[in-house]
Amino acid sequence: MSGKEGKFTNPRDREKSYKNDDITVYWKPVACIHASSCYNELIEVFNPGKRPWIDLDGSTTDKIIETINLCPTEALAWKWNDEGRNDLVGSAQMNHIKFRRPELLTKKEEQKSKPVIIKIMHDGPVVVDGTFTIEHEGEKRIVTNSIISLCRCGASRHIPYCDGEHRIIGYNDK
Amino acid sequence: MENKKGNDPDTHIEIVVNGPLVVTGNFVFADLKRGITITESEVKICRCTRSSNKPFCDSSCKRQSWI
Repeated sequence: MSGKEGKFTNPRDREKSYKNDDITVYWKPVACIHASSCYNELIEVFNPGKRPWIDLDGSTTDKIIETINLCPTEALAWKWNDEGRNDLVGSAQMNHIKFRRPELLTKKEEQKSKPVIIKIMHDGPVVVDGTFTIEHEGEKRIVTNSIISLCRCGASRHIPYCDGEHRIIGYNDK
Repeated sequence: MENKKGNDPDTHIEIVVNGPLVVTGNFVFADLKRGITITESEVKICRCTRSSNKPFCDSSCKRQSWI
């Protein structure tokens, strides 16, 4: 705690990378909004109860890529270890593009009139993506081109926002 | 025309104390696990876990305060 390293960055917030024979997976903790798609889809690889929480030996490369592409934020990203293959990746794979080709993302002005995306995460929060106002206890703020997640399980310590507690309490979305 | 301020977004989210999350305006709603995709002008999402019509609010929250 008194050491110089970690003075500006909490060690838990540092970016990490994991590698198998085909791809490198990047984990950016500060970007995570606990949308929970990773462990809901592929607990064999993404298990928040384990350390390290990512184990690329748990599944196939195809399945890992598919799961990472479901992540609504940049918390999880990947790229081929063989650099030449990275140029062939399709535009549908948003996270990959965010990671490698940010210039291809839609310009902010164009996003203004886009509808906000409200997505219910299975056994998890509601993820809101876009530009909108949010009002809570009389306080109103404008969120611009961002992704936030709001608690549905009632257990968050940061109501109305999600803090990942749904996993700890085993929230069942029935 | 209706929004002369210009800077106010078209979509509004209100977190009702002891109540649901109310979304109004321009949005697309999706619950892929349940196969629900709707584009309506208002949607009320359960926050108290007691609704029997999840992910929507069924006013179960009104019977007992929770947060």
